[in-house]
Amino acid sequence: MMADWNAMSDTEFRKEVRHFFETEYPEELRHLPHRPKFVEIEHWHRKLHAKGWVAPAWPAEYGGMGLNAAKLLIFYEEQQRWGVNRGRDMGVQMVGPLIIKFGTQQQKDYWLPRILSCEDIWCQGYSEPGAGSDLASLRTRAGIDGDDFVINGQKTWTTMAHDATHMFMLVRTDPGAPKKQQGISFLLAPMDQPGVDVRPIRTLAGEYEFCEVFFDNARTPCENLVGELNKGWTMAKALLSFERIFIGSPSLAQNALGQLESFARCRGAFDDPVFCDRFAQAALDVEDHAALYARFADQLKRGETLGADVSMLKIWVTECFQRITELMIEAAGPDGGTISSLQIGNVSVDVLASFYKARPTTIYGGSNEIQRNILSKAVLGLPG
Amino acid sequence: MISSDQDDLRLLRESARTLFERAGGSGRARKLRDAGGTWDPEMVHELAEVGVLGVAVPEVNGGLGIGLAAGGVIAEEVGRVIAPEPVVMTIGLSLGLLRRLCPDHPKVAQLISGDTVLPVAWQERGSGGAPGDAACRYADGKLTGSKAWVVGAAGSHGFLVVARGDDGPVLVLVEATTNGCSVENRLQADGSAMGELSFSATPAEELARGNAVTEALSEAISDTTALAAAELVGLSDRAFEITLDYIKTREQFDKPIGSFQILQHRAVDLNIMREVAQAGVREVLARMQYETDPGVRKRLASRAKARAVTAAKKITRDAVQLHGAVGYTDEFDIGLYLNRALVLSAWLGDDTYHRRMWFKAREQEGAA
Repeated sequence: MMADWNAMSDTEFRKEVRHFFETEYPEELRHLPHRPKFVEIEHWHRKLHAKGWVAPAWPAEYGGMGLNAAKLLIFYEEQQRWGVNRGRDMGVQMVGPLIIKFGTQQQKDYWLPRILSCEDIWCQGYSEPGAGSDLASLRTRAGIDGDDFVINGQKTWTTMAHDATHMFMLVRTDPGAPKKQQGISFLLAPMDQPGVDVRPIRTLAGEYEFCEVFFDNARTPCENLVGELNKGWTMAKALLSFERIFIGSPSLAQNALGQLESFARCRGAFDDPVFCDRFAQAALDVEDHAALYARFADQLKRGETLGADVSMLKIWVTECFQRITELMIEAAGPDGGTISSLQIGNVSVDVLASFYKARPTTIYGGSNEIQRNILSKAVLGLPG
Repeated sequence: MISSDQDDLRLLRESARTLFERAGGSGRARKLRDAGGTWDPEMVHELAEVGVLGVAVPEVNGGLGIGLAAGGVIAEEVGRVIAPEPVVMTIGLSLGLLRRLCPDHPKVAQLISGDTVLPVAWQERGSGGAPGDAACRYADGKLTGSKAWVVGAAGSHGFLVVARGDDGPVLVLVEATTNGCSVENRLQADGSAMGELSFSATPAEELARGNAVTEALSEAISDTTALAAAELVGLSDRAFEITLDYIKTREQFDKPIGSFQILQHRAVDLNIMREVAQAGVREVLARMQYETDPGVRKRLASRAKARAVTAAKKITRDAVQLHGAVGYTDEFDIGLYLNRALVLSAWLGDDTYHRRMWFKAREQEGAA
């Protein structure tokens, strides 16, 4: 029995979602500072799965909640508000929608239920050492040999590849294509095979969140090609438009600001008028960003498509998030280099955790410089 | 906000924009400045005819009664063409005070119809500006003392003066032609004047007295501060558009300079500032319209002005840089925007001041 969420009022729906998170989400997993491995959040995932809430954006016929844009936004807002971990959601967020849109019936029947149950855990194989911001230059090759694709090359910055069973990947299937965006295909490949070698990369924060993945004659059956051969680039791009508002949501900066404020109070930092001004600047940057975010969210709620201008949100909020975490270090004074939790009064803060968390936000999801290139051409109409 | 409100605001914006564009846009501001630096009483009348001066005055008192957000729309349009008419002063301060203190006074109708302009003189040099601090004395129907930073003093018909009465603050009306009232105009960067007024036993009409004056003044200042922020938002919008057009057409090294990445990224950052400022200030005005707690309204107004000043300063100064040498000349309009931004930023507090006020208000709310 599926509830018709979209028929509920926004307030009613928000109440229901909030209630579920507040009563069911494990306290110790709130606002996790790192990306968890699946085992850490497995228990929560089972609850979510039983409730039918793993894939809020998917159509109900595929086991999703079938939420419209307005409801979806509320769902994510509540998730972020309560510090609910997104879990291992690459399957739900990235590959599922692609299979729903471009996959064959057989692919849908096989893969979608396994994504929802997390029987398969996915990682994203897009970036390569020579193809970061310029993703279309990717060089990992896939050639056909009998019933299989044979994959050779290297992917990198693959988030949580060491805890994934499958990779969805962009590979070059026609090296002779006239433009580099052509000749790219979208493949699904199992990780557990001799030709795949995963090497976790240690981050500045001392954690292992992403990996290099080497392919040496790795194989995947031809039926794991999604969409048409050599049409992978357009497909992968088609998915990004709706997600772009989430990457610019105010929540990360808002949470960091809240943390900064309670920490600064314990530290007596508000006795310093210079600090007060910088805090006010950061807080107002977050408030006014939230006003702009609300404008875009309203657009979505009215059923309009978002334009390229939505990436303004990402640029502003990620840079603001970084400034807030830098203020945290300043407020910590001589403790600003300590990498474990500090107990100040009754507040426990890991000063550097949010600093580290903020660093890659201006790099991932299309670096802020790439976003500026896009805005200058697509929104401001500047030449060249 | 409900959608019919949004439609009203859009119509209001369109009529104000058409009116200003027909009158010559920013070119009109240049002409008025070169002609000696005052505003055009005819324009005040025309604005009054589309109803803009009375937007925030209740219908029962002859206004449109559609609130502060509508005032913000007008203020943005004023800012876009850097119109020198004291529109924000009239909507926010003059009518802001009178509609709260004496809504039935005949001056209310005259202000709404544009027949009179009555700047509010509330600050004094050497005092914070709170009515209780006023050294300017009102006794036995006569006013003595001085007032400073009066926007729109040149060419006005009289003044609304906040003074110290026998037993607390008073609001009085002084006609400009009255004996014993002198106005010294201080030239501003945009060619306008700020008035320094002095009164010596000047006859004045008492309009209100007591705590109500203090409260109404504080509320009217919050309104006006937020409206001035909206004016800066409009100004920033247009300054950015002018600059964007310029870098698309100006060629060096056989290319439009807007094809260089460094300028593109700067333009993008200015655009983001402008959008954030617009969204923030509009949200503030919409909230202030329904917010009744004066402390919260004050904090919201400070948030708006802090944002708008930061954005306008950055946008107009970078705009001059992006224009290159011609940006430093008086022949291009962009300089007019820079100069107007200087004046509007200084009026009622700049961004640093308002961040301080915002923080203070937030701390007080937190403690309460």
